Formats: sequence, C-alpha cells, structure tokens
Amino acid sequence: MSRSAFAALALVPLAALAAPAARAQDSQFGISGLGTPGRWESVRARATGGAFAPFDAFSPLLEAAIADVRRLSAGVTGGTSWRSVEIGGTETSLRGSRFPTLVIAGPLSRRVTVAGGFATYLDKSFGVVTRSTDSLRGAPEAFTDEITSDGAVADLRLAVAARVHSRLALGVALHRLTGSTRVTAVRRFDDSASYRTSTARDDVAYGGFGGSASALLDLTPAVRLAGWVRSDTRLAADVRGRTTAEDDLPFAAGGGVGWRPGTKAVIAAAVAWRFWAGAGPDSYDTFTWSVGAELGSGTAPVRFGVRGGDLPFGPGGAAPTEFAVAAGVGRQFSSGRGRLDVGVERLERKGAGLTERVWTVLLGLTVRP
Amino acid sequence: MPRGRRARLVLLLALGACTERMTAPGQCPAFCPGGQLQMGDTVLTDVIARDSAYAGYRQAHEGQALPVVDVPGIRSRAIFRMLPLFDSVAPIDGDTLKVPIAVDSAALTLFLLHRDTNASNLALNIYRLPRDIDSTSTFAQLSPWFADSLADSVNVSALYALPAAYDSLTQDTVRTDSTTGRQIRINALNGTTVIVLPLDTTQVRFPEADSGKVAFGVHVSADSLASAALGADEYPERDARIRWYYHYTIPDTVTATPDSVVYTSQVRESAFDSFVLDPPTPPLDPAALDTTLAVGGVPAARSLLRVAFPSFLRDTADVVRATLLLVPVEAVAGAPGDSFSVVAHAVMADLGAKSPLATSGPPTSSARVHLGSTDTVRIELTDLVRAWAFDTTAATALFLRQVPEAATYAQIRFYSSRTAFRPTLHVTYVRRFPFGRR
Repeated sequence: MSRSAFAALALVPLAALAAPAARAQDSQFGISGLGTPGRWESVRARATGGAFAPFDAFSPLLEAAIADVRRLSAGVTGGTSWRSVEIGGTETSLRGSRFPTLVIAGPLSRRVTVAGGFATYLDKSFGVVTRSTDSLRGAPEAFTDEITSDGAVADLRLAVAARVHSRLALGVALHRLTGSTRVTAVRRFDDSASYRTSTARDDVAYGGFGGSASALLDLTPAVRLAGWVRSDTRLAADVRGRTTAEDDLPFAAGGGVGWRPGTKAVIAAAVAWRFWAGAGPDSYDTFTWSVGAELGSGTAPVRFGVRGGDLPFGPGGAAPTEFAVAAGVGRQFSSGRGRLDVGVERLERKGAGLTERVWTVLLGLTVRP
Repeated sequence: MPRGRRARLVLLLALGACTERMTAPGQCPAFCPGGQLQMGDTVLTDVIARDSAYAGYRQAHEGQALPVVDVPGIRSRAIFRMLPLFDSVAPIDGDTLKVPIAVDSAALTLFLLHRDTNASNLALNIYRLPRDIDSTSTFAQLSPWFADSLADSVNVSALYALPAAYDSLTQDTVRTDSTTGRQIRINALNGTTVIVLPLDTTQVRFPEADSGKVAFGVHVSADSLASAALGADEYPERDARIRWYYHYTIPDTVTATPDSVVYTSQVRESAFDSFVLDPPTPPLDPAALDTTLAVGGVPAARSLLRVAFPSFLRDTADVVRATLLLVPVEAVAGAPGDSFSVVAHAVMADLGAKSPLATSGPPTSSARVHLGSTDTVRIELTDLVRAWAFDTTAATALFLRQVPEAATYAQIRFYSSRTAFRPTLHVTYVRRFPFGRR
C-alpha cells in the first residue's frame, strides 16, 4: 500500500467524525417527506448543472471516477443559499450555510484507488411556524406552533475503484447512512399568563446502509460514458434508543456522457432515476437530467450548465419539479497542487402551491499535498 | 494584496458570515411535519389521594393585621397594650436626683391597612382596656370595657371627606380636623394611611402606679359594611403607637433662681396586640375533618393535600395549565366586601402537620376568596405541577393556607377527598410530539 493510500484511508474516519455537520440545500418540499436529498456534486460539477458529476472524482456520485486519482487528494464543497419561499401568497426569505461534501482519495496501487468521505444524503433542517386557535376550557385560545429540525443524514462512503483496462474503470462503494437531528416543538399561547409555553426537544438518530457500483467507459479518446447503480436499505429513526420509524430508501441508477471536442472544451450530460415511491405517502420516483460545459484552459476554466427534474417528496399527488441554471469558474494555484472553484446557481422549485427560488453561492477547494 | 486574492478573501468572508434562518410560515398539513402538536384537557377527579386539615399554626396576636368588623354574624375588635412610659426622669446629668413627670396629653397613632370604601360613617371607637390583656383574652371577657370605657371616637369617613393638604416636606396627603386636631395622613411613598388622634388626660389616663402601661381596644361602626383592618406589630412600623406629652420641673438646688419647667414628649409602641372574635373560629371537629378541609381563621388552619401524580403527565404530556378546584362547604361569613387569599404552597417533605414549606422551586399560587360567595375556588398550579413532572423526587403534596395568616377572622372550609365534591385538578396538556416520524 502506498503512503498516499494509507493516508487516504486514515483520513476516512476523520471525515466520518465531521459528517454529522454536513448539510445540503434544504427545501420545504422535504418537510413532509424524509427530507431533501443531497447533491452529490463538487462545485465543479455543480457549476455545470451536475452534468460533470459522473466524471468528477470529487463528486461522491460515481466511484469509478476516482480511478484516475493518482495522488492523494482531497476536495471539499461549501455553500450558502438564499431561499425565498412563496406559499399561500406569503413570501419568506431563508438562508443557510452548508458544507455538503468531502472526498479524500488516493491510489492504493498502480491500478486501484480508494476514497472516503461524506456527502449529505438527506437534509432534515427546517423550521415551520403556524398559527391556530383551539377551544380550551370553553374559550378560544390562540397559539403559535414552531417545529424545527436541525440536522441531516450523512452518507459516509468508502469506495474502491480500479482501472481494469485502459478504456474501462470500475468502482464499488459501501455507504453508511448516519446522522441525527435536533428536533424542537414549541407551542406558545397568546394568553401566556394562563397557559405556559410547551417545549419538547429530542434527538433523532438515523441509520442505514447502502451499496453502489459504477463504470466509466472511454468509447473514444474524446467520448466517455458513465453508468452507476445504487441501492440503499431502510432508514431507521431512533429516539432515545427506540426505533420510531423505518422507511424504504430508493434504488437509483444513472448515467452520463462526456465529450471533449477540443483541448479547451468539455461538454457533458447526465441523467438519473431514483425510485423513492416506496418511501411512503406523497413520495415519487424521480428523473433528473443535466447538461453542462467547461471551457477554457485547465488552470482557469469557465463552467455553465442547466439541470431539471423531479423532487421525491411533496403533496398534491404529483412530484414537484425543479429547474436550475448554474455557472462558475475555477483557478489552479501552487503549480496545480490546489484548485479553488466558485459557482453560483439559480434554482426554482414548483409544486402544489409552493414555489421556491434559491440563489446558491458555492465554494470548493481541492488540494493535492 | 493582489486583487484576485483580495476578491477570494471577500468571498470567503461573505460565505462565512452568513447566519442561519430556516424558519418559515407553514401551511399544514401539506408542508408541515407528519406529526402535529396535540392537546388534551381533562379534570382529574381522583388525583387528590389523601388530605388533612390542621389548626394552630398562628394565633391572633401573631397576625400582621388586626381586623375590626361589626357585621351580622361576626364581630372583631382590635386590642393592644403599649410599652410603659417612665414616671420620673433624672434631669441633671451626673445627678441621681429624679423628679416626677406630669402627663399633659397624648396622641394615639393607628395604621389603617384597609377599610370598606362603600361604608358610610365608618368610625373607629377607641376604648380603654385593662392593662393585663394578653393572648388569652376573649371577646366576652373584654365586653364590659367596650361598653363603658370609651376614650374617643373618630369618624374616618368624615376625615376622608375633609379637604386635602399636601405636606411640602414629605409630599404626604394630609386631612386635618381643625376643631379636634384629628388627622389622617396618606404616605406619599408607600400609601399607608395613618390616623392620629389627640387625647387629653381624661381620655387617656396616665397611671403612674403602673409605670405608664395603657391598653386600648378598637371597635368599628358604620351605617353598614363596618369593616377595616389596623396594623399590627408583626408588620414592621405599622403597629399602633402613642406619643406622650409631659412636663417636669428641674429643681434649682444651688441658686435662688426659680425652678425651670421642661415640656417634652416620648413615643411608645405597642408591646402586645391582638384581636378578639365573636363568635370565635370554631375548632376543627374530628368528625367534620373527615369531610372538610379548613383554611384560615384564628388560630390559623392549614390543609395538606397529597397528590397521586398521574404517570402520563410525566411520560407523554407537557402540562401547560393546571388548576386546583376546591368546592366550599358554605359561604364564608363576614363583611360582604372583605376577601382573603388562599395560597397553595409546595412542601419540602410530607410530614403531616409539620411539613416544611418549600423555600425554593416554583412560586406559590393563590386565589382570592370573597366572603359570602360559594363559588368554586380555583388555584392555578401550573408551575407546581410542571415542577412535579420534571422532578420525580419531589414530594407531591401541597399546603393550602391563608396569607397572611391570623390577619383575618375568616376561615373557609372545602369538601375533602372523601366526599362527592372532592378537590380535583383540571389539567391542560400538550401531548409529546411524535419525533422521528414522517
């Protein structure tokens, strides 16, 4: 085992420790469901609408892509979102900072590369405030409920990839789904002199497993195909050591095609199917697509892309939809040992009387010590 | 710093400076968590498992007020004895020679704690009482003095009707009867009302042989609703006091000049005060104790209620309101405008009559009881019940007591847990939120 591979493996537990802090962009559509699925994309991939994710070693989507990592490397993605939620004629502005992905990879041998890290599997951070009135002791009593959840289910990944042929790379990964949410339910009565505020807090721990496999095939020197499948078990929710819920997690599959028409241009497209319909009521199978390009030299490329598709959770009997445009730039430094990526994304989600519009600014850092 | 590096730094700071804001108005059930906060509201009829009444906590002379009442069914009179005044002074420093004093007059000061403002011609009648009054004195024993030893009578209603003047020094409101010198003064700082009654030597008889001990009784009268309360010595600086005006002669034993006369005064506070009732508070009858709980009166009675705390209030609910419901056996007799507080006080340990009152923890809760009313008494116990839910080691018992104790003639009796109209606990609660479910 090379020193770099050993270091990569050693860093995996460290990444696992940091995992519970990871969160992705959240959405009101996920509140009534299991949460908002995370985006397994680096800033580079995200700036192309996600189209580059199957080919990007630092996007924790397709493990075969790490086969091309020949030195110990690490990539981290962070971002801040400004979200406006329009529902029932009311618009609310929300914001949050996220740290959704970390990938550490390094070669185990000449053909085999290992990687570890985490990504957000389901974001479960939200806060909901409602007003209502109930009859108590023969009189109407108005109150405000505030239910908040802060946390996420992280996807801890241990991946192995091998270049089995000059044109073919294969990869497999084991996924440990873990995380917790700090949940709070507060009811405040307008008549606070008579009725005390009720506050309940708890921690919900989540756990599950998954496995994935993927392949990268170079049809020609300029055209690369990618394919992946993933299956996850059930997600168990535990409160104080007692399992309160077990929900089915989806089987997912996807693919992509990348085309390099010249030395300073790469174009890619990707699709994915995730079968969330078994996760309970108001859950739907989803299809997502993305197209993007990266132009310019490798030291300072410019990226852009679009994506669209369905969201897995939402009321109304039909899957909410989303559409996003994204752009970004990258800059290498320290003789290629580091790369800073910046991206911006404008996203719109619609469904069942709710519209979300999100600006997200992304920052990614990749280092090769 | 190069521009590119500066821009990167600004971007990093901008991202790092962002704060979370993730709470939005919800539209339920479509965009709310699967579980909702549910409430419950129930009257727990068997939660008061055992209860007992005990008497003797505080006697009439230990109360913070002296009720004076004369209404159908109840009469209460204040009595107090003053600290003694000396009968002679040593006027020359270093000389053991003593000369007698001669009392010229006195001024009696009474603190009026409250009165029935609906009463007309409310009068305080001051009687001279024997100097041996004490805590065993009874209404009947003192009745002869209240019949023939009237020292003075002041119409409080008339005093209040006089034009007010303002003391420029203290800002007090002062009303003075220029004919009699009687004065009512309302303190600008604390609102206390003081009545000052000038008394001459026929009204207050200075008994040298008894070293200046004098005692008085106060009876109240009015066209109706004759009810008031005077300050007692348990209430700091609110007890009755008398200022003695006297003179004495300094004999000239050296020269042939005439003797000089000195006029001065001294204040004496009350050494003992109490009140006597007719009829007295009935004793706790062992037979009646089985069915009733007593609170208040003199000697003061308390009732201990032991609560069988329901486990569901600890395990699956968060109490947002808890109200103790007590049904009076009968209306409390007394002046219709009078009222008193019944307080529910947590105990540190259930030791029966000697259960120590909790000195920390949730605040006490109280309810105002109006005399003549048979309404159910409701005491909010929310903080106490919530404390019991969180602290499983706490003694789930409470004392019902009157506050202040032994400061009123009134005693209320409630039905006990062994009757149909037993004490109950009305609780409103929020059920535990189903965390971890969709």
